[in-house]
Amino acid sequence: MLESIRTRVNNGDRLSREEGRWLLQNASLLDLAELAETVRYRLNPERRVTFVIDSNPNYTNICNIDCIFCAFYRHEGDADTYTYTVDEMITRFKASAKRGIRTVLLQGGVNAAIPFEYYKEMVRRTREEVPEIHPHFFSTSEIIGMSDVSGFSIPEVLRQLKEVGLNSIPGGGAEILSDRVKKKISNKKGTSADWLGVMREAHKLGYKTTATMMYGHLEKDEDIIEHLSVIRDLQDEYHGFTAYIPWSFKPGNTPLEKIIPTYATGTRYLQMIAIARIFLDNFPHIQASWFSEGKKIGQIALSFGADDFGGVLEEENVHASANFVHTTSVKETVDLIRSAGYTPAERTTLYDIIAEYGPEEYPAAVLNSARLSVHTDAGAIMHSLPIIQAAVLA
Amino acid sequence: MISSKAFTFRDNSLSPIWDKVRNGVRLTKEDGLALYASDDLIGLGRMANEVARSKSGDSVYFVLNRKLEPTNVCVLSCKFCDFAVKAGSKEAYEMTLDEMLSKLRPDLHEVHITAGLHPSWPWEFYIDMVREIKTQFPNVDVKAFTAVEIDYFSKKFKKSHEQVLRELYAAGLRTMPGGGAEVFSERVRKELFKQKIGAKTWFDVHKTAHKMGINSNVTMLYGHIETIEERIEHMLRVRECQDETNGFLSFIPLAFQPGNTGIKTRNDFTSAIDDLKTIAVSRLMLDNVPHIKAYWVMLTAEVATIALNFGADDMDGTVGEERIAHDAGAISPMELAKGKLISIIHEAGKLPVERDVWYNPIEIYPAKGTTVVSKMPYLNSVPFYHEFAPALKNIEVAPLMPSVLGRFARLGTVSAGPLSLRDFMSVSDRFDRLEYGIAVKGNAHSVLLFSKYGWSDLKGKRIGITSESSTSIELLRILLEKRHGVHEYEFVKLHPAQIQNNLSDYDAVLLIGDEALRNGELGGIPGFDQMYDLAGEWCSWKELPFVFAVWAIAKDVPAEAKTQITHSLENSLVSSAGHYAEIGREHGKRLGMDDAAVDAYLQTFRYRFGIDEHAAMAEFEMEWESLKRNNRTVPVGHSIAA
Ligand code: SF4
Ligand code: SF4
Repeated sequence: MLESIRTRVNNGDRLSREEGRWLLQNASLLDLAELAETVRYRLNPERRVTFVIDSNPNYTNICNIDCIFCAFYRHEGDADTYTYTVDEMITRFKASAKRGIRTVLLQGGVNAAIPFEYYKEMVRRTREEVPEIHPHFFSTSEIIGMSDVSGFSIPEVLRQLKEVGLNSIPGGGAEILSDRVKKKISNKKGTSADWLGVMREAHKLGYKTTATMMYGHLEKDEDIIEHLSVIRDLQDEYHGFTAYIPWSFKPGNTPLEKIIPTYATGTRYLQMIAIARIFLDNFPHIQASWFSEGKKIGQIALSFGADDFGGVLEEENVHASANFVHTTSVKETVDLIRSAGYTPAERTTLYDIIAEYGPEEYPAAVLNSARLSVHTDAGAIMHSLPIIQAAVLA
Repeated sequence: MISSKAFTFRDNSLSPIWDKVRNGVRLTKEDGLALYASDDLIGLGRMANEVARSKSGDSVYFVLNRKLEPTNVCVLSCKFCDFAVKAGSKEAYEMTLDEMLSKLRPDLHEVHITAGLHPSWPWEFYIDMVREIKTQFPNVDVKAFTAVEIDYFSKKFKKSHEQVLRELYAAGLRTMPGGGAEVFSERVRKELFKQKIGAKTWFDVHKTAHKMGINSNVTMLYGHIETIEERIEHMLRVRECQDETNGFLSFIPLAFQPGNTGIKTRNDFTSAIDDLKTIAVSRLMLDNVPHIKAYWVMLTAEVATIALNFGADDMDGTVGEERIAHDAGAISPMELAKGKLISIIHEAGKLPVERDVWYNPIEIYPAKGTTVVSKMPYLNSVPFYHEFAPALKNIEVAPLMPSVLGRFARLGTVSAGPLSLRDFMSVSDRFDRLEYGIAVKGNAHSVLLFSKYGWSDLKGKRIGITSESSTSIELLRILLEKRHGVHEYEFVKLHPAQIQNNLSDYDAVLLIGDEALRNGELGGIPGFDQMYDLAGEWCSWKELPFVFAVWAIAKDVPAEAKTQITHSLENSLVSSAGHYAEIGREHGKRLGMDDAAVDAYLQTFRYRFGIDEHAAMAEFEMEWESLKRNNRTVPVGHSIAA
């Protein structure tokens, strides 16, 4: 089986689900890596690893979705809630821009008290008042929330957001897009079809998005392959995904902690990166994260098919709430890429290269960034569909 | 041949190096530099993993151990040491012997002792330390004192290295840690470790230890100011020493952590790529060192897991237990650390093997659903494993001595392997026999009785017997009693690490496998005039072959795995036929045998069983039963596991 798969991968043929599952379950770690590198260097031939200088603030932590694995949200009326005004956010974005930040990945809870106009204002004023910043705003859950609040359809919400300047959205909240898992779980809101539906409409309108996966909870290998299959199918339709980003579930401070007390390991992460690179032949990029998996595992992931190191984020409240914070700086990101043996290259949200950095060269942002407390693209933990109530019910 | 796998690499420059490695050709310094220079990390890993598999199968070893640091008072103040303090300082501590003993538990297998160079402790205290531990905890082996300490003792107590070591040996010391090696470069030493002993003294101490039967490890501290070339030179010096003494058990790369040592390094920590490359390159360069250790306490559990696929086959042990000891209720930190090690190893897709200091397996912990197949680590078994590579991930291979295989087969943790005939008889209700095994008609050259007396004069004599195989012991008893009418003799079990035995204490010794072969090739053991080939004795007596081992698979192994194992064995036998010299070359070299000798030796065995072998097994069983009926159990001496 391995030999026939290797031949198919070398020929650039697409793998079937069965082949994908066989690899995930039977291939050794380094066989996976070898196949993943074949695909990686076919699609991204240069020994270059990209990163984006961005920040990841939140505008509200009030949320009515109650995802069981989320340590971030609060209910209306809780003591430590916040919702910032557009003015307040714009002030922060300006400060970010001064520090050399190019992208803001903005997400919040699904707060029914916020009108649709607020979101449009946020996008419009960002484009007008902070042109240096690329808005990478709002997950699928929030977009569904906007549709509920405004009465507009999803395509209409997306169209209006596009009109005021939004052209990319983060891919968080996908969890595991597997109906086999979904059937077992009771969703308060949101299904895998919802996530895919929003993404499809967005791609149709010309949005670029990422796709994430959160693993390490209740899923089985089959579910992972299912997830990869459905996003690969969607990608065939409009080619709207720029990158795929797997995350391991971090159980700290969530109700799920009692059910899943251990973290998925580094080895599992490398398998997830590699299988994705092999299977997702129509995704241009695979993003590794040193922030959620640790610096060393992040570096190793670059030999398992990843060609992007995500963001050098300034604020990240979701993982931080789960007692899981790594800190770093732009300089350190560049150093990590370099000491792993790659050329660091700064990119835009849409994966255009801004600059490559030679030995001893650093982005200008380094000058402004003291030691930022990190974080990342996509907020997979955010806005996850409420999977996993199954765990409680079962 | 190390491996039959012809890899292709992303980096073509690795191909010629792999060709050398898999054919057992030693790598040069230039090869080592080329390995480090390559950006094909995965290629390096595949090569190193394959080499590790050829040595240890899927096994990854760990030991239940604990660290003892009897004092932090030290006469030196090395630049990067944040452990030592001066006598009289507030943080200074000095343990009494009782305090040390109170830190140990009987279920440990190793205590790792290193201490500051204490200004006033007397020599007797160190001797007492070792002796008392060995007396009160006989199962705990003492791994103590780096070369730095030994050299300090030698200077302070005006004894030669040899004398220091001899006295420690007499007290019970059998292994030494590998610390203090840093990097064997005068340049680096002058700059960073000026006060420490140099390479010459370090090797002098370790060679002296090896020669008297004390095994040791060797470390390499990397990631400070050393160059890649200096790392490779370090490895080459280790390899050279190992050629001479064969006393190193494992090589341990240690990543330098600058912390607050004041030493400037490029980054705060070594890159993961450097960590993995260093593990892999060590495995490839050090062809004569049995084990490469991923010291998980320093590497982090995450990176150590990955390292297990890059050539490392040892995790050290529970020594870092305090680090993961949190409020875990009733579970002791050691149990917790053990569980953690086991799960790290499972995660890497490998087989956890709990070991003693000499890497003898004590227990194995297969992951659920795993079928463990034993690999007989003897030259005569090579044809079974040459192409043995079942495609299922959950079939794992562990090199086990016949007696250990027998024990694990009885426990149910190992499900397939060439069982020693006597062991097969004890589990035949739970195992199915395959038509493969190891039999011989005539001399086998690898089950030898070296004796100071002729057969009939062995009456009342003291016979040292291998603990590696029960069949050979039973065969010896049958020959003594049934063929030669000798009924009084004493069997004494030899230590499983042969290097520990003083064979001249015995009137005769029974050796098997490689150990027998090596001594037989050398023409015998000095002082033992007779050399009896037990298989030959049996064959000429019975006019039947002798069956040493028979392949068997546990009945509860899933059908798919069974098919894969049988298929893989058949493949191996077919592809080895006619190529014995080539497939056994590597192994033969270690025993001092050339191609012709290897070929001739392997030609003597019958690997496929037929009517003769069936008759031979029945005959052996009958003889054994009749001994048992006559209640001829082992007389005096240490008990012998049947
Ligand atoms: S993950 Fe998002 S949608 Fe779910 S509770 Fe947290 S903030 Fe709300
Ligand atoms: S000899 Fe050992 S304990 Fe003493 S200062 Fe040097 S490194 Fe530290």
